[in-house]
Amino acid sequence: MSYLLLVLEPQGQRAERNTTEARDAYASMQAYADGLQARGILRAYSSLRNDAEGQRLQIRGGKRTVHDGPFTEAGEMIGGFFLVDCATREQALELAAMCPAAQWATLEVRETGPCHLG
Amino acid sequence: MTATDTHRSIEAVWKIEAPRLIAALARMLHDVGQAEDLLQEALLVALERWPRDGVPDNPGAWLMTTAKRRAIDTLRHRQMRDSKRPALEYELENGPMAPAPDQAEMLDDDIGDDLLRLIFTACHPALGRDMQVALTLRMLGGLTTREISRAFLVPEATVAQRIVRAKRMLAEKQVPFSVPRGEDLAPRLASVLEVIYLIFNEGYTATAGDDWARPDLCEEALRLGRILAELAADEAEVHGLVALMEIQASRLHSRSRADGTPILLLEQDRTRWDRLLIQRGFAALVRAQKLGGADGNYALQAAIAACHARALRADDTDWSSIASLYARLAAVTPSPVVELNRAVAVSMATGPAAGLAMVDELCREGTLARYHLLASVRGDLLFKLGRRAEARAEFEHAATLTGNTRESTLLRQRAAACAP
Repeated sequence: MSYLLLVLEPQGQRAERNTTEARDAYASMQAYADGLQARGILRAYSSLRNDAEGQRLQIRGGKRTVHDGPFTEAGEMIGGFFLVDCATREQALELAAMCPAAQWATLEVRETGPCHLG
Repeated sequence: MTATDTHRSIEAVWKIEAPRLIAALARMLHDVGQAEDLLQEALLVALERWPRDGVPDNPGAWLMTTAKRRAIDTLRHRQMRDSKRPALEYELENGPMAPAPDQAEMLDDDIGDDLLRLIFTACHPALGRDMQVALTLRMLGGLTTREISRAFLVPEATVAQRIVRAKRMLAEKQVPFSVPRGEDLAPRLASVLEVIYLIFNEGYTATAGDDWARPDLCEEALRLGRILAELAADEAEVHGLVALMEIQASRLHSRSRADGTPILLLEQDRTRWDRLLIQRGFAALVRAQKLGGADGNYALQAAIAACHARALRADDTDWSSIASLYARLAAVTPSPVVELNRAVAVSMATGPAAGLAMVDELCREGTLARYHLLASVRGDLLFKLGRRAEARAEFEHAATLTGNTRESTLLRQRAAACAP
C-alpha cells in the first residue's frame, strides 16, 4: 500500500526563516527522508519550490487559462511530499508523526488508489 | 484517542521501529534472541501504559529505554554468575565506549551496520530455511507470529516453534552478531538474497490463500531488499534482486482477475503496470550493471523482466533480446527450466520450428519429463506448426502432469481445440 504524505506549510512561513533556520529545517527533512530510505519504504520524495513560482492551469470549453501563484486563498501551500509504502493507515500516520515538518506545518496523509471509487 | 486507537498506534510504531531497536539491542547484548525477547517485554509494558498515559512523543526511544533497563537487569543477573561483564554494562548505561578491538575492525567494514548484522544473523546458515524465513520476517519485518502463519498458511504454533528453535540454535552455536567478511561474505550474502527472494515469491506465485497476507509478503521482501541495497550498496547482485522484485511487483495488480483467476503476462493490461516501480527497477538494474554485475543471476532475470516492462504492448516485446538474455542466464545458472524459457523466447523471436528443436532436445535429456510446462510448451509449438494430432497428445499428457485443477482444465480445453 502506498501513502502520500503532503507537507502543507502556512503561507509565508519560509520567508520568516533566516538562512541558518532554513538550512536546519531542510537538513532535518533530509535526515527524515534518509531514515525512510533506510527503512526501505520511501518510493519518491521531494521538497517543492515556493508556490509564488507555480502556475495553475485549466481548460474549459477548449479555452486554456493559466494563473500564476502564489495561491493565497488557501492560506497554506504544498511544500513537499513523501510517497511511502506501508501496510496500514496507522503506520502512515506514525511516519507522519516522525516528520520534523509536523512541528511547524501540517502533514496530510493520503492513501493512493483509484479516484473513481469516490 | 481511544484505547483501540492507541493499540493501533502501538502496532504501527512496532512495525516501523522494531527492526532498528532489535538490531541496536543485539549489538549491545551480543545475543539476538535475548534482544528480541527484551523488546517484546518492552512492548507489553507499552501496551499496558500507553492507553492510560498516552503515546509518548518519541515512541521508538521510549521502547528502547524500557528495553535497555531490562537489559541491564538481565546483565546484572548474568554478572552474578559471570564476572567478565562490567564493560558491557557500562556500555548500556553510557553508550558505546571507545571501540573494542573487534568493533574497530567492524568500522572498516563497508557495510558495518546493526541492521545488516541482524539480516546476516537471521539468515545464518546454521538455521534451516524455514527458520531463516520466520526469523527474518519476525525481526526485520516486525511481523507477529500470527501474521507469519497466515502468510505461509501454516499453524501459528509451528511458526512460534521455528522462532524459538532458531533463537536457541543461534545461542547454542554462539553465532556472532556480525557481518561476514572476506571470502565468507559472498556465500552468506547469497543466502540472504535467497531468503528475501523466497519471501517475495511466496507472496507472488501463490494463487490460493488469504488475499490480504500474500501481497504483503511481496512488499515486505521488497522493503528488505531496498534496505539491503542501501546497506550493501557495492554488491551488484543485491541491486539485481531489487530490480527483479521491483519490476515483478509492478505487475502485482494486473496478474489476476477479480475472481482470482491468473492472467498470463502476455494477456495483462499493461496500462495497469506500476510505472514508478518499473522506473525504480530500471534504476536498480543500471546500478547492478555499473557495478559489473550484468551477468549475475538476479540481474539477468531482472533484465528479462525489464524487456517485458519496456514493451507497451505484448506485440512490441523484444524476444530476440530475451532469448539472448536466457542464453546468458543458462551459462551462469544452467538449468533445464531456463532452457525451456529460452526455447519459448527463441520460438517467439524466430518461429516455432527453432523453439521445437530446443524443446525436443530437452525431451531427450529427460530431466523435465514430469514437468507439465515442457509438454504444454511442446504442444503449443506443434499447434503453431499445424501438427495438430501431436499437439493434442502433448496437451493431454500435460493435463495429467499438473496438480492444479484450473491449469489442467485449461490444458484439456486446448487439447480439445486441436481437433481438425
